[in-house]
Amino acid sequence: MIVLRAVDAGFSRDDLIVEAFSFTLRAGESARVVQPNARAASIAARICAAIVKPSTGTVFVGEYETRLQPPEAKRRVGFVDAAGFEGDEHGFRCEVAFRADVWNLDRNGAQERARHVLAALGDDAYARALALALVADVACVVLDQPPAGILERVRRFVPLAGIVHTQAVLVPALPEPAVLSPAVT
Amino acid sequence: MNELRATIAIVRRHLDRRFAWDFVAHVALVGGIAFLFGRLLTAWWTPLAVVSALCAALAGERSLARSLRRLTFFAMPLYGRQLARAHAIAPSLMALSVPLGYAGGAALRHAPLSPGMVLSTVLAALVATLVSLSSVFRDGARAALYITLAAALAITVTVAPFEFEPTVARAAAFATLLAAIAGYFALRAFGETLARYDPVA
Repeated sequence: MIVLRAVDAGFSRDDLIVEAFSFTLRAGESARVVQPNARAASIAARICAAIVKPSTGTVFVGEYETRLQPPEAKRRVGFVDAAGFEGDEHGFRCEVAFRADVWNLDRNGAQERARHVLAALGDDAYARALALALVADVACVVLDQPPAGILERVRRFVPLAGIVHTQAVLVPALPEPAVLSPAVT
Repeated sequence: MNELRATIAIVRRHLDRRFAWDFVAHVALVGGIAFLFGRLLTAWWTPLAVVSALCAALAGERSLARSLRRLTFFAMPLYGRQLARAHAIAPSLMALSVPLGYAGGAALRHAPLSPGMVLSTVLAALVATLVSLSSVFRDGARAALYITLAAALAITVTVAPFEFEPTVARAAAFATLLAAIAGYFALRAFGETLARYDPVA
């Protein structure tokens, strides 16, 4: 079953350019979207999660095109922002309750599921954001520049979901310019 | 999807302790202005102009923009029009603090506003707020233009009926009708703005 399909999806505005990417993701598979910098990688993740509309190409989540039916697409995707969730324990519980209300889920069930995710993945900012994304039963998880090693743990937790993760290419630092001796002309 | 449950959740998120303090502060501030400077504003339409301008500026303020531009709201499975309705409730409630403060200040000055004028200031506050909300997702000159348009439209919608209708009751009814039409289209425009907005910042 195809959970996410991107066809030449790209974005450009002012100085922000997301290079076009294409892939087909089936249930249980993973895909990586590589972009030249962190900002482009973030926008690419948002494009996959139906939060940002691609300016070129199309993205389908299941059978729903993200530009035409964003709510149906968003309901099937769990999006994890690179910044993670930076609130405290109380803020996290409030956010879980908020998500349960907006996604029309059982509040106690949502809290229980979030606790279960945190117990499996740890209790840092990224794990909390991941727990929030997985409060609803999603077909696809979009991870914006996840920390190393988290993919395997997420896969163990959602074995049947498609996982998309973005990555920024690290441009190697230029070598230090050679210091010219005053004698050299 | 239960839209009402989602709407209530979003409204509750906006109605926090800071909202309550801001509401009280606005009532006190506008009340103080009306009490101290009300005698300088002699034209009959000045309460409408003051309320419209303050509400348009209030709805277009940057802290509200930062709040509404949070990524969380755009990850929610809601259409732009649904999100617009939910987002408009809290600012509309906050807007009521301005006519409330003005009416209070005028009453303290022993020059209370007439019931028709109180109704008109409330309508002006709501129209200015709903139109100005679209400025939240714009920056620079376009945001300023929306805020100016909001204030001008609110003044026009509430002042014109009193200029052309012979009785206060008919003028108030006409103003209510115009405000309802303006508010409806403003809310639709806000929904369109939300649907088109791409959170790339």
